[in-house]
Amino acid sequence: MAEVVIEKLSKSFGSVEVLKDIDLTVGDGAFVVLVGPSGCGKSTLLRSIAGLEDVSGGAITIGGRKVNDLAPAQREIAMVFQSYALYPHMDVAANMGFGLKFAGIPKAEIAARVSEAARILQLEPLLKRRPRELSGGQRQRVAIGRAIVRKPQVFLFDEPLSNLDAALRINTRVEIAKLHKLLAATIVYVTHDQVEAMTLADKIVVMNQGRIEQQGKPLDLYYRPANLFVAGFIGSPAMNFLKGEVVAGGTGLGADGRIAIALPPGATPGMKVTLGIRPEHMSIAVGGGDLHLAATVELVERLGETGFAHLRLASGTVVIAEIRGETGLKTGDRTHVALDPAHLHLFGADGRRLG
Amino acid sequence: MPQGAYLRLLLFFLGPAVLVYSLFSIYPLLATIINSLYSRQNDGAYLWEGLGNFRTLLLDPTWSVPFWNALRNNFIFFLIHMCVQNPIGLLLAALLSLPRLRFRATYRTLIFMPTMLSVVVIGFVWQLILSPLWGIARMFLNFFGLGFLFAPWLGVESSALITVSLISVWQFVGIPMILIYTALLAIPDELIDAATVDGLNQFQAFVWVKLPLIWPTIGLVSILTFVNNFNAFDLIYAMKGALAGPNFSTDIMGTLFYRTFFGNQLQLGNPSMGSAIATMMLIVILTGVMVYLFLVQRRIQRYSF
Repeated sequence: MAEVVIEKLSKSFGSVEVLKDIDLTVGDGAFVVLVGPSGCGKSTLLRSIAGLEDVSGGAITIGGRKVNDLAPAQREIAMVFQSYALYPHMDVAANMGFGLKFAGIPKAEIAARVSEAARILQLEPLLKRRPRELSGGQRQRVAIGRAIVRKPQVFLFDEPLSNLDAALRINTRVEIAKLHKLLAATIVYVTHDQVEAMTLADKIVVMNQGRIEQQGKPLDLYYRPANLFVAGFIGSPAMNFLKGEVVAGGTGLGADGRIAIALPPGATPGMKVTLGIRPEHMSIAVGGGDLHLAATVELVERLGETGFAHLRLASGTVVIAEIRGETGLKTGDRTHVALDPAHLHLFGADGRRLG
Repeated sequence: MPQGAYLRLLLFFLGPAVLVYSLFSIYPLLATIINSLYSRQNDGAYLWEGLGNFRTLLLDPTWSVPFWNALRNNFIFFLIHMCVQNPIGLLLAALLSLPRLRFRATYRTLIFMPTMLSVVVIGFVWQLILSPLWGIARMFLNFFGLGFLFAPWLGVESSALITVSLISVWQFVGIPMILIYTALLAIPDELIDAATVDGLNQFQAFVWVKLPLIWPTIGLVSILTFVNNFNAFDLIYAMKGALAGPNFSTDIMGTLFYRTFFGNQLQLGNPSMGSAIATMMLIVILTGVMVYLFLVQRRIQRYSF
C-alpha cells in the first residue's frame, strides 16, 4: 500500500474550474472519504487520481511516483464504480480476472488471485454466474473483488453504496470497514452520505465548489467545523444558525434578545456573526434564563427514543431542537429553548470560525 | 369479468389488428401458396398441379436456369451487403460514438440522407454518374490520373451485379450505422472507464467490451439485411429494367418473379409459376430467419444489468 499526495491540483473544463488548488495527503493505509454536495468536484477528484480525467495543473503522487502522465492501468490503483460497471457478457471469475489478463499475468496466477478474492468476499459459489444473475449486493462484492485481485496501491470507491437498499447499505458499509482492516488498504472513497463518511473515515475531506473546505478526523469536523459550510453540511438534522452581532459580553440576536457567551479573541462589538448550535445541544426549558430563547412550537417529529421539535423564535428563525423522552410538547405551544454554552460555534461575516 | 364482456373486450382490442393482418398479410400469403399449387389453363380455368410447378421450376431447364441464376445472384447481392454495408456501418457507428467528435449530428444526417431518397432517384443519379458517355465518374478518375481504371461497370456482365449491389450499399449504409450507433450509446460510460482502469486502450475496449455487447444488434442488422435483400426488386428494376441485364447478370428473385408473374415484353404473365417463385422466396427467407432465431439469437448474450 502507498501514500497518495496531491499538490496544487486544478482542473478546468473550458473556462469552468471544477477543481481549484487541491492539496490532500492520503496516508499509507488511511481511509479518506471525500464528501460534498453534488457538483462539488469530489468525483472529478477521484477520477483524476484514477487517471480517467486529465488534470490542468498540479501533481498527483502515488507511493512516491508522480503519476500525472501515466495511464490508469499503470497507476497501480483499482476503482469500484457506482453502477459496479461489471462486464455483462462475462461470468464473475472472468470479470475479476479480466484486467489481469491484459496485464500479461499468467493464467495460474490469475486463477489463484481470483479464488483468493472470492474466498475473502464469499463469492465462491457465484464464480460461474453472470452479473445479471446476481443481486445488487453480490454485484457490489464482485466489483470489490475485481479491485482486490489487482493488488493495487490504492483503492478508489465512487459512491459504491448508493445503488443498494438501506439494509444492505449498512451491511456493506461494515464489510468495507472490515476489508479495510484486513487488507490494510489505502482507500479514497467518495460519497454524499455523511453517515458513511462519519463511520468509515480516518479522515473526511469536505468539498464545495471545487475547493476543500476542511479536512480532518470525523469528530473534529463535527465538533470544530472550520466554517459555515462544513458546519451546515456535517450532521443531520443540520446545525442551526442564528444571525447576530457582537455586543459587550455576548451576542445580540435582534428580536431574540441578547445572550451572554464567552467571546473569542478578536470579536469586537458591532461585528456581524453567525451563531451555530446543533439540535442535540439545545433543549426545551421552562421559563427564561441566561441562554434561553422564547419559541413557539411549529412541529414535533417523534422518532421514539428521541425526536425533533421545530421551533419558531421571536425573530422568525426556525430552529430544530432534539427532544428526549416524553415531553408532551405539541404544535402551537409557547416554550423556551436552552442553548448549551459548551457547544456554541461562532462564525464571522466571512463564514470562518471564530476562536 | 363475465365471459361475454371479456370476449367483447378481446374483440375490441385485438379485432382491428387481426383484421388488418388477415386482409393484407395472411390472406395474400395463403392465396399465393395455394395459387402455386394450380396451373392456369389457356381458357382461364385452374387445374390442380400439386407440386408440379415446383418440379418445373427446379428441374426443367427453361425455368431452372433463370431460377438458379437469380438465386445465386441474390446470394451474391446479400453477401456484398453483409461484407461491405454492415462492416462499414459498424465502423461509422464506432467513429460517430467517439467522445471528442465534432459535427456529430451533421455526419449522422449526411450519411443517413441517401436512405431517405427514393430508390428511383438513386438509380437514376448513379446511372448518370457511371455513364461512360457523360458520367462524372470517368472525369473524377481522370482527375486523379486513374482514368485507366474506368470501365462501363453497369454494362459489363462481370461487374454489373457488384456495381448495383454497391450502389444499394451506399444508399442503405445509414441503417446499420444508426442501429449500431444507438446500441453503442446504450453502453454506460462507466463500463468503458472500468475497462480503461483494467488496462485496455480504446481499441481493445471496443473489441473486448463494446463489440460483445452489440452482437445482438449486429445480429438484428444481419437478419434485416437478409430479409430486405431477398425481397429486393426496386433498385434493379429502376436501373436495369425487368430484364435485369446485361444478359440477366443482375437478375435476382424479385425481378425474376416480376417477369414471370406479370409478364414482360414477349413473355406472357404466368400467375401460377409466379406464385411458385414467390413461395420459393418465402421459403428462402423463412429458412434464413429460422436459422437466425434458433442458432444465432439463442447464443447471443443480451446485454442487461
